[in-house]
Amino acid sequence: MKTVFVGELKTLLDAVAGETDLYVPKRSGDYYIYSKYDPSAGAAVEFNNIRTCTPIKDFLFPVCELAATSPQPLEPKEIKPFAVFGLKDCDLRSIEILDKVFAEEEFQDPFYVKRRESMFIISSDCSQPGESCFCNLFDGQVFAQKGFDLNVSQARDGFIIEAGSEKGEDFIEKHSRLFTDVPEMLLAERDKNRAEAQKQLEQNNAEYQFDTPIKEVMENSTDSEVFDVEAKNCVECQACTRICPTCHCFYLYDTRQKDYFAKMKMWDSCMRQAYAAVAGGANPNKVLGDRIKHRLMHKFVYFLDRYGLDMCVGCGRCVDAGVGGMDIRQVLKKLSEELKDKDKKQAKVAK
Amino acid sequence: MSQNPYQPINGEIVDIIDESPTIKTFVVVPEGAFRFETGQFVELTLPGVGEAPFTPSSSPADTEKMEITIMKAGLVTDLLHNCDKGQKVGIRGPYGNGYPLADFVGKEVYIVGGGVGLAPIRSLFLTLVDRIKDFKSVVCRFGAKTPDDFIYKNTLFGSWQKIDGVKIKLTVDGADGDWSGNVGVVTTILKKDDVDIKNAVVVVCGPPIMMKYATMKLLEFGFQAENIYLSMEKNMSCGVGKCGHCMIGKYYVCKDGPVFAYGQIKEYPDIWD
Repeated sequence: MKTVFVGELKTLLDAVAGETDLYVPKRSGDYYIYSKYDPSAGAAVEFNNIRTCTPIKDFLFPVCELAATSPQPLEPKEIKPFAVFGLKDCDLRSIEILDKVFAEEEFQDPFYVKRRESMFIISSDCSQPGESCFCNLFDGQVFAQKGFDLNVSQARDGFIIEAGSEKGEDFIEKHSRLFTDVPEMLLAERDKNRAEAQKQLEQNNAEYQFDTPIKEVMENSTDSEVFDVEAKNCVECQACTRICPTCHCFYLYDTRQKDYFAKMKMWDSCMRQAYAAVAGGANPNKVLGDRIKHRLMHKFVYFLDRYGLDMCVGCGRCVDAGVGGMDIRQVLKKLSEELKDKDKKQAKVAK
Repeated sequence: MSQNPYQPINGEIVDIIDESPTIKTFVVVPEGAFRFETGQFVELTLPGVGEAPFTPSSSPADTEKMEITIMKAGLVTDLLHNCDKGQKVGIRGPYGNGYPLADFVGKEVYIVGGGVGLAPIRSLFLTLVDRIKDFKSVVCRFGAKTPDDFIYKNTLFGSWQKIDGVKIKLTVDGADGDWSGNVGVVTTILKKDDVDIKNAVVVVCGPPIMMKYATMKLLEFGFQAENIYLSMEKNMSCGVGKCGHCMIGKYYVCKDGPVFAYGQIKEYPDIWD
């Protein structure tokens, strides 16, 4: 794939914004959030060295949207092409997971699919993985592996741009006068930077190395008390599910408008008490600990069984967001250690 | 354009039949032919109010209209019970897998039902008796709280009992003087020699507690978990395996069910809750 060099990030972003709406990370306190790029603004363009605070699903699967109308049926509207800059490897992998649910199944969600097809993805390297990042535990890297149109890496005196799709190649081709060839030396430097950031990430998570695959740990932990213990600190704020880039539960509800009826599709959370309740009152997950267990079983067992992927990309957003302070890495570690102890005891008994 | 799975088609309630103090059957005419397999479910929308999943109680052979038997149990069903003929509704579906009739051919079909669980069973029953020669027999064991709580009384106490190849036994949890039948929960009328277990399949549909104890008893009799078909009730919302509310383990009840062989789901906790 084509790889080129540009001195200023603004040059690239202006070229993109000249063609479509572009969303870029903007610093807000300790975090980055997305906002629409304004090429005329004088402010410096920022290269986000870590993922944004808000999940990428916002662009594909909005918090609330119109899903159907009656008596006249709703025609899903066309989506204007748009571009998003600054996605990290974890973000790209979260899109792969959402695609499994909304785009590759027997029933396609036309609202998701239209947005997905209209999205131009410009990813970038993670130069400073955060304390809560743990993508390395789920095959993640500090740079994009696949699923991007363009990827940007910060290098000495500029930025390396690599195409990852035909759309990306075409873009570079079309704007070739903006770019120059990449000096060999900078490519070597990029590899070195990536290796260093990856090392940093691995050091941050050194205490979370699992001998037994997480799926196996979960499958053997259904009777563990860890979930109920975690529930004691959980305040059911549901932030973990809202901010998770792979959580995709939603509910449909009906409203009455002035001259038509609308069916809305809105994010839901499996942490909510009545989430699985049926009319008449039966509810398989009345107890909070059971809901936490179900969420983790879905992420690490059920989704894997069904689609061949973990439903967690290790972005760590839930670690940052949870008011109760639950760290999913710690929960998995506790379960893993508990299982190890159980196995040891059993081995002792067997002797 | 890809089809929008959340968009209902329009329909109208053309008739309402009182079945019991808490249960009514709504006769719905969809705009255009509507095909389903017995055991599949639909999402019925009361416009502006809400949507809920129901398995039609009529025969799939009738593609002009559909009957949906509904118990008052929550917001949507309470308001449906207040509706009159002519009420506009929305219908999505059909969704999921129905009863695997091909696997029933040549066998005794043993049907255990309770309360409003007789709704999906009626659809299955009508489908089976349409081609009754394909099955060795259809043996039914139905229960209700009181005689008045039985739905489809006219046919259940009358014409259904006279069909060749069909045997029906009824029970009630409690009754006054007029009831000459069995008194006791439905498991009290399940007998080991009701059918030839080795050459029979069982269908169970009813309240979760009844399904649980009936299944336990059937297993005790020696039925294989793979031959016990359950119609599971979970919170099916989207109907297309995405929204997450109806999961039993890795299964979406809306897409992989609602009919499951007990053997498929027995390993998962809380299936009866």
